[in-house]
Amino acid sequence: MSNKIITMIRKELIDAARDKRSVMAGLYYAIGTPLLMCGMFFLLIGQLTSPEDLNIKIDNANGAPDLVKFLASRGISNGDSNAEDTKNIQLIISDDYAANMAKGLSAEVILVADASNEKLQNSIRRLERSLQEYSGEMGSLRLIARGIDPRVMQPIKVNVKDEATPDSKAGMILGLATMTMIYAVFISGMNLAIDTSAGERERNSLALLLSHPVSTWEIVIAKITAVSIFAMVGLVLTLLISKLAYSFVPWQELGFAVSVNANFIVMMLIVGLPVAIMAACLQLFVSFMAKSFKEAQSYITIVLMVPMMLAMAASYNIAPDTIQWLPISGQLQALIEFIKGRELPLTQLAVSSTFTLAIALGLAIGMQKSLKSEKIVFGL
Amino acid sequence: MLHGMYSQLCARVTPALWRHKPAVIAVLLGAGLAIPSAQADTQTAVATSNDQQACYVDGLSEQMQCGSISVPENYAKPNGKQIQIHYVVMPSTKPNNKSEALLAIAGGPGQSAIENAKGFDRMLSKVRQTEDVILIDQRGTGQSNPLQCIGDGFESALAVNESDFDTRVETQKCLDELDADVTQYGSLSALKDFEAVRQHLGYQKLHLYGVSYGTRMAQLYMRHYPQSLATVTLDGVVPMQQSVLAIGNAIARAFDLLVEDCANNTLCHTQFPDLKSDLEKVDAELAMAPKISQVPDPLTGELTQLTLTRSKFKGSLRMALYSPSTRSLIPHAIHQAANGNFQPITGLYAMGIDNAGIAMGMHASVVCGEDWQRITPELRAKTNESYFGQEMLKTFAESCAVWNMPAVDASFSQPIASDIPTLLLSGELDPATPPSWGELAMEKLSNAKHFVAPYATHGVAYQSCGNDLIAELVEQGSVAELDAECLSEDIRRNFYLNASTVEAIPTDADEQTALNK
Repeated sequence: MSNKIITMIRKELIDAARDKRSVMAGLYYAIGTPLLMCGMFFLLIGQLTSPEDLNIKIDNANGAPDLVKFLASRGISNGDSNAEDTKNIQLIISDDYAANMAKGLSAEVILVADASNEKLQNSIRRLERSLQEYSGEMGSLRLIARGIDPRVMQPIKVNVKDEATPDSKAGMILGLATMTMIYAVFISGMNLAIDTSAGERERNSLALLLSHPVSTWEIVIAKITAVSIFAMVGLVLTLLISKLAYSFVPWQELGFAVSVNANFIVMMLIVGLPVAIMAACLQLFVSFMAKSFKEAQSYITIVLMVPMMLAMAASYNIAPDTIQWLPISGQLQALIEFIKGRELPLTQLAVSSTFTLAIALGLAIGMQKSLKSEKIVFGL
Repeated sequence: MLHGMYSQLCARVTPALWRHKPAVIAVLLGAGLAIPSAQADTQTAVATSNDQQACYVDGLSEQMQCGSISVPENYAKPNGKQIQIHYVVMPSTKPNNKSEALLAIAGGPGQSAIENAKGFDRMLSKVRQTEDVILIDQRGTGQSNPLQCIGDGFESALAVNESDFDTRVETQKCLDELDADVTQYGSLSALKDFEAVRQHLGYQKLHLYGVSYGTRMAQLYMRHYPQSLATVTLDGVVPMQQSVLAIGNAIARAFDLLVEDCANNTLCHTQFPDLKSDLEKVDAELAMAPKISQVPDPLTGELTQLTLTRSKFKGSLRMALYSPSTRSLIPHAIHQAANGNFQPITGLYAMGIDNAGIAMGMHASVVCGEDWQRITPELRAKTNESYFGQEMLKTFAESCAVWNMPAVDASFSQPIASDIPTLLLSGELDPATPPSWGELAMEKLSNAKHFVAPYATHGVAYQSCGNDLIAELVEQGSVAELDAECLSEDIRRNFYLNASTVEAIPTDADEQTALNK
């Protein structure tokens, strides 16, 4: 790289660093998002898991004291109906419960609850499971009391072999986390990209720069490099903070593990680099196209929807298979496979990374051309 | 779901080999220090090489790590015959640095830890959130060169009259069929295997959970490798000072407690006012002569002969005492038997048939080497007081003569002196290891707490909040904060009042009112 370019990169970085507030603004995302995500998961875990002592409403509890006692041993009790921690789940024990039970018939209990209420779902399932357990246990003992081996009641024994690993069980959450990390490269460099293009033009320093004996290529490369460096700094920060913050979330309560390990960080940095370069090119290009700083901001926000969509499509697995060949979504999917401990889809990763770099190159050429046009340089 | 229930019901394991002659008596009268086990009828983890590999164990869908190590059958001859010791690592949910793990040791003696993985997983679910759990098939059990005694088998276990057996002959036959030096299958050799597995897996410290006979292994671990241990939980304690053959009195005690419980329970007492005399009546009748009748086979439904002997009757009831759920059926079963209906007894007896669990050869190696030889005249006299004690002494006298195990040193029976944080759990209603045994084990433990769960039987952690206490102990690494209060929570369930219900049976008048409502 020629000295001129290095000098210019230094100039860009010094320029950017001078405005500390806007530097920080760019990095807030990188620092804040992992923390916010963790906060969200903390709340989510609290909401989704059934409380250790589950209080529900039991009607006619005296009709089936043994059942009530069994449920209590499973941590499910009859709570005060006005108390705040009593869940909105009602168990009604029918009046003829004991009579039917004594005759060897099925005794009826009615479970009233709103199954669409996500916060209750785990508790409802837990209650159902406990009731089934009770019923199964009594059924077995009823058979034994009649001289029959309870195994005859289980003609099929299903042995499930789940191929998921603790890491792959966390796929959904990791997909979301990886998405926010990839997105960090877009956000972290954004301010600098706008400032160094539309901003410079507004301050009239762009024309000054162009009047120096440097080629437009050198200017474009310097700007892209500076923005990419910022993007990568953002990514590194996000990764480091994620590594720290995610280890504090009690994932094990959901039955899986989420960890950001060294391998993942390295992988993410390698895969993230082409994305960062493309993000820099895209943002610079759009900003140059805009007439003013404010306009650039609006455009970029809109343009950023595209990578956002691609990232979402990849992490939620909602799009057709073709997205695994596209930029961003392809890399993201490869990353998700990597975290899940599966084989890395190298072809897809190579194709999508090449695509990414090709787009970046195209945009760079576009920028280089546009800097020769007075319309762009003076924002006419 | 049903399977889950069922495993709970299958709680006592020993009867696995009721079909096989040599085992029959040993099982009905075996030391029976088994834990509530899952039904174990499968090819569990298949680990062929020494390398660790992903595998599945019966009843759990999750991937585990399985492996095995080669150890000499006889540690005195390191270059002699090698045997494979199989283990399974149930990984923690939270990634850990692999410095600590919990080793769960099964009972029996002769139960496979791996075959009981499901039960351990359920009970240790909280521990597993943060710690790996290791299960090792102790030498002679499960997949680790099992010493099974597979006899000729019977057309029907129900038709057998146990008193026709010649234990000596059958034991000899079993011994001849085994390709192993049975003298090497005692607890001390197995302990070396355990430590070798720990080193192989690279854990610096272990938390131990031993249940039933597994508590002996855990105590030996405390004695021989204290530096490898972080904490120890002994559940259903067999103190070193105690011969397991003293179990006869514990069984008698558990029967008395059951009768007492029923008498103190209004519903049970009203329904079965003469429980004690019913029991004595049936027992006396069967002691005279077995009752022979035709019954549908519990599994096939075909008519078959039932030779109801005293051994079957008392053995079934004894096994039913192991788990709270089957225990609740006992008063009904006794009452029906007194009235000539042997269905409930047949059902309880059938729970044991075919339910593999105890490797009787390994059982004999342990009991003959470590328990039989140290019976003092006083203990013999005391043990002879109970039916089970008498029968057990008779059986082991014959089988141990064949097995010819060298006796362990006298120092084996010394109490364990240790300051490792140790939690001891005993169930008040335990028909195998009564709370007094836990007290005995406490003698020289300087950093230990002994909790008695008033409503638990054998295997306290499976039936109460004992498992939470273990998780707490593992997390804190100290017994200081442990509190027994939650163990006293009244989890007692009703007794079965007829073949269908545990709730008060409504009278006709009650029923009318209910219908009118």
